[in-house]
Amino acid sequence: MTSKYLSNSALKTINRIGDMMIPKNGEFPAFSEVGGLEYIDEIVSYAPPADIKDLNLVLTILAFMPNFVLRWLLSKMENSMESTGPLAPIFRMLDVGLRGLVFSCYYTEKIPASYKGKKPLDIIGFDLTRVED
Amino acid sequence: MYDYIIIGTGPSGGNIAHNLFKAGANILVLEAGKLMTKKTFPRTEADTSARLYWGGGIEFDAEAKMGFLRTRVVGGTSIVNQCLLDRFDDIALNDWIDESGVKWFSQEHLAPFYDKVENKLSLHTFTPEDMNRNAQLFTQSCDKLGVKWGALRKGQNDCAHERGNDCMACLGGCHRDSKQSSYAGYLRDDIAEGLNLQTETEVTQIENNGDTVTVYALQQGKAVTFKAKNIILAGGAFGTTKMLMQSGFKKQLPALGKNFSTHPQFMSFGLFDEEINAYKGYFQTVASKDPNLRTKGYKLENVFAPPISAAMLFSRTGTYHQEIMRNYTRMTCIEVAVRDENAGEIKVDNKGKLTIDKPFTDQDKTRRDSGRELISNILTNEGAKKIYASSFAVGLHLMGGSVIGTDPKRSVVDPEFRVHGYNNMFVADSSIYPNAPGINPSLTIMALAQKLSEQLIGTTHDIKVSEQLGA
Repeated sequence: MTSKYLSNSALKTINRIGDMMIPKNGEFPAFSEVGGLEYIDEIVSYAPPADIKDLNLVLTILAFMPNFVLRWLLSKMENSMESTGPLAPIFRMLDVGLRGLVFSCYYTEKIPASYKGKKPLDIIGFDLTRVED
Repeated sequence: MYDYIIIGTGPSGGNIAHNLFKAGANILVLEAGKLMTKKTFPRTEADTSARLYWGGGIEFDAEAKMGFLRTRVVGGTSIVNQCLLDRFDDIALNDWIDESGVKWFSQEHLAPFYDKVENKLSLHTFTPEDMNRNAQLFTQSCDKLGVKWGALRKGQNDCAHERGNDCMACLGGCHRDSKQSSYAGYLRDDIAEGLNLQTETEVTQIENNGDTVTVYALQQGKAVTFKAKNIILAGGAFGTTKMLMQSGFKKQLPALGKNFSTHPQFMSFGLFDEEINAYKGYFQTVASKDPNLRTKGYKLENVFAPPISAAMLFSRTGTYHQEIMRNYTRMTCIEVAVRDENAGEIKVDNKGKLTIDKPFTDQDKTRRDSGRELISNILTNEGAKKIYASSFAVGLHLMGGSVIGTDPKRSVVDPEFRVHGYNNMFVADSSIYPNAPGINPSLTIMALAQKLSEQLIGTTHDIKVSEQLGA
């Protein structure tokens, strides 16, 4: 899996973070198992170039963190809504940005054919009907 | 040299472009986004966020406590909203008079403009048969608790509801052209008839030379320049305000950027034993219509969210996340939309990036908390096992920043929609809203645009007044 916009290291980090956010649990496959990152360029390509540069930088930094540090950081981000101080807005933006990427690549109709399990949208029972004439 | 350059194609720009085009004016319409049609609108939620919104999805306030959704596509906001069209009441309009000093804000004065917009568009007021289970539970509970509710009125002409079409799909643009967006309702036919619309053209600067206006823009990255006798800014609260700021008008217009409001919305999910399937059918048909809530400064909307949005708003991560998402089809949803104070400010930094200060005031918090408490009562009253309240505020109605008023020190646009001090520069979009009305803003944006259209056609002698105006 490669991306025009994100480095290989950045992609690996998203998979690591994705598996922490959505681990394998009962019917739910782990984030990386689904392989939704294959279509990440279709999402990232519309972001402003400066944001893509920042995302690559952040993910490259996170790549060096051991799992327990990364988990701590994600937890800090998750609980940052009421936090104060100069880092709080950055944590909140990172939280929305990373969860947005992960959920967008997971709860999607665009799942690679190589994934043979039940799709996350089917697991939650989402079956949107579009009547197109 | 054009008679008019219109920047933006949302509810304001779409209406004005249509009226001036029909009246025979020589106009150019500029739009930063792409032209998408029912055949090319995104078909997935992820693609919708990425392709139709500025910033590739969401923009934040400076504190990142609130997210703003701002569209970048021909048709603007009207492409992604639910096209719920309500007239303003006396409460909203009297507050506008108090804030702006503009005396013509009244239901009586605006009625003919509302009439023309309503006659142009196809409208449908929902009936009990249209309600899905989410709406049934909401209305049943409201009735028991004595909370008044009402059916919503939507701009639509053929949603194929009887054939099982789910309107949640049209949050990414209506694939049936049923929703009465400014594209489907106004521009589609005009484009076919030769309307001069240039897309993917982002305005970087406006230069007013007295009799003429020069517009500098980037068209797919290439610098282009246009000239006109008049200019109409219709980029919405963020777009219009940013264009004026980037062009150096802040010095003459000290109120530029101020009085921003957004009706912050907070959703709550209620978990039920039964299958609800709140995303099915018409997913938004009713809302509170209770004078007590109007006085208290909020309303309740019976809505729902598609999966990625639901995951973002309600479910954090790990097993907690999976517990909520596993129950997605057994959730109902109500949101409180706060009639917020206009304490926000839109700014542009030295790199040309928007910065939004949006303090959530004590009054705003009181209104949110009161609404949430009522939502909790409504949900538990009908048997909700658990309630999940999102603390993240979403701003869909972006208003103010270039507000209308009589005092040039406290406003940007005069009562005839002219930017103070300029005879040939007009604004009639949501950026002129003096404060938050607490009512869906779309119809009034179109009514004000209709008023400006008629003013321009009536006073511009080289344009043949069309009998078709407003038809």
